[in-house]
Amino acid sequence: MKVAFTYCGSCNPEIELSDIGHEIEKALQEAPDIEVVSRRSKAIDIMVILCGCPRACGDKKRVRKRASHCIVVAGETVDLVPVAEKELATQVIQKVKSFSSPES
Amino acid sequence: MGMIRGDDYRESLRRVKPEIYYMGEKVDSVADHPAFIPHINAVALTYDMAWAPEFEELLTTKSHLTGEKINFFTHIHHSTDDLVRKVKALRAMGQQTGSCFARCVSHDALNAIYSVTYDMDQKNGTEYHKRFVNFLKEVQKEDRFMSGAMTDPKGDRSLSPSQQADPDQYVHVVDRQKDGIVIRGAKAHITGAVNAIGHIVMPTSSLKEADADYAVCCYVPVDAPGLVHIFGRQTNDDRKCSGCLMDQGNPEYGIVGGEALIVFDDVFVPWEQVFMCGEYDFAFELVERFATAHRQNYGGCKVGLADVLTGATFALAEVQGTANASHVRDKLVEMVHLAESLYCCSIACSCQGYALPAGNFMADPLLANVTKLNVTRYVYEIARVAQDIVGGLLATMPSELDWGNSKIGKYVDKYLKGVSDVPAEERMRLIRLIEGMTCGTALVESMHGAGSPQAQRIMIMRRSNWARKKRLAQKLARIGEQPKLV
Repeated sequence: MKVAFTYCGSCNPEIELSDIGHEIEKALQEAPDIEVVSRRSKAIDIMVILCGCPRACGDKKRVRKRASHCIVVAGETVDLVPVAEKELATQVIQKVKSFSSPES
Repeated sequence: MGMIRGDDYRESLRRVKPEIYYMGEKVDSVADHPAFIPHINAVALTYDMAWAPEFEELLTTKSHLTGEKINFFTHIHHSTDDLVRKVKALRAMGQQTGSCFARCVSHDALNAIYSVTYDMDQKNGTEYHKRFVNFLKEVQKEDRFMSGAMTDPKGDRSLSPSQQADPDQYVHVVDRQKDGIVIRGAKAHITGAVNAIGHIVMPTSSLKEADADYAVCCYVPVDAPGLVHIFGRQTNDDRKCSGCLMDQGNPEYGIVGGEALIVFDDVFVPWEQVFMCGEYDFAFELVERFATAHRQNYGGCKVGLADVLTGATFALAEVQGTANASHVRDKLVEMVHLAESLYCCSIACSCQGYALPAGNFMADPLLANVTKLNVTRYVYEIARVAQDIVGGLLATMPSELDWGNSKIGKYVDKYLKGVSDVPAEERMRLIRLIEGMTCGTALVESMHGAGSPQAQRIMIMRRSNWARKKRLAQKLARIGEQPKLV
């Protein structure tokens, strides 16, 4: 399962976007069956779109087209569901892992 | 149907029989009473302008529910383009009325309730959203004008709703029956209340568990039994009933939207019109989303009004022979600068809007609150500059009855004249228009409409990322950890 990360641009984030991004990336690099790849890779299974606020500027059609699945963090939400900032990384990691083992 | 015309709206008012009081007397027909006609005209224009080709692009759209063409004021926003369009529509409307046209309140309520009912259902497994969508379809089909009734009288502001000595200081549920609920209390200074077909009732503040009975959102027809409307006075409102036209300043559309106290004296509401009942933990969400939408508006409609006021002031400066004075030109530029700054705020919070779980869009809450807080200042400053240019005649000008008097009218004509080729009447009309727009009730509306300044400050405090701002400063000042990027 190939996972890539892309950011909105971080103009004025409402959350600690860099820290959260790095935490997710580090956890996924250590996970079995998951390979973290560049967002420019050709074969991406999951694109994690990290946006600092609900405006979700990173969530673009051209970005979504690059992967089979997308997970969008937009401020204190994951895929539009409210999530407290301290839970964001855990939620995203769980979501990514649920894609790599759908039966769970 | 989906779109009606102004006269259809006027006729719909004659079909309902609400209990309305003004100046101690019961009003028989709101549609035919001089105190209310200007407000009705302003609302009617929101219907008629939608049929005008030059405004159609702004004021009509397709319903996402039925695919039918509808008036924009019943639309649920589904993009930031929609949010921007709302601001532009409000400015265009404000330019035509020079006054509040009241339609935005229910528009914002519809959008807020649409999203919050969805969120409630997601969490609690209730069916409010489906119920609300059915209601919304009716509203869109009938192009119904409703008030958005949020503000409660509040009694002792230091106490929560359930702590009040008089529990009716906030609207609350007093009985839950098989087929509906009974509500009691009042909503204060509700725009368009007397000339609406019904009221959308919403809670006014965040609530705790003890306040659960106050977490009520519902629709109540204007003539529901137990509903009483007491219309508020406005500055110089007796001019509307005195037969004077010029002295009203803006006789067609008046000033502000026409506000009333609505009393709910044990009003029954069937379940199909109830969209929140006891979900106290969603009250804040509803208040914030409504307030954000409503505060977003003020850099639209008020800027439309400011366009009129600036035009009136410029025209008056020409009539008075001061238009070429450098300080007057400078002040006129200041009026435009302030107004366009407000417009920038509304456009910005719309562009920065975002999707909610229900799929509809809301404006950026922080920027919307900044918009409205600026309105509480800039509109006053715009009015101050206008009054500066007009001069003292704004407060001392004789009545149009004196101007029309066969004996003394010639003196009014002679001594109120400015430049020689413009009659005094023109100067008088402009001054009365400016008086209506800058003296009294109209300004207070900019201060307290959509919430008082402190309400915006609280939201700005809540929505500002203080920790990050501090971290940015500490990094540059080399305090603590030194990350490359914050």
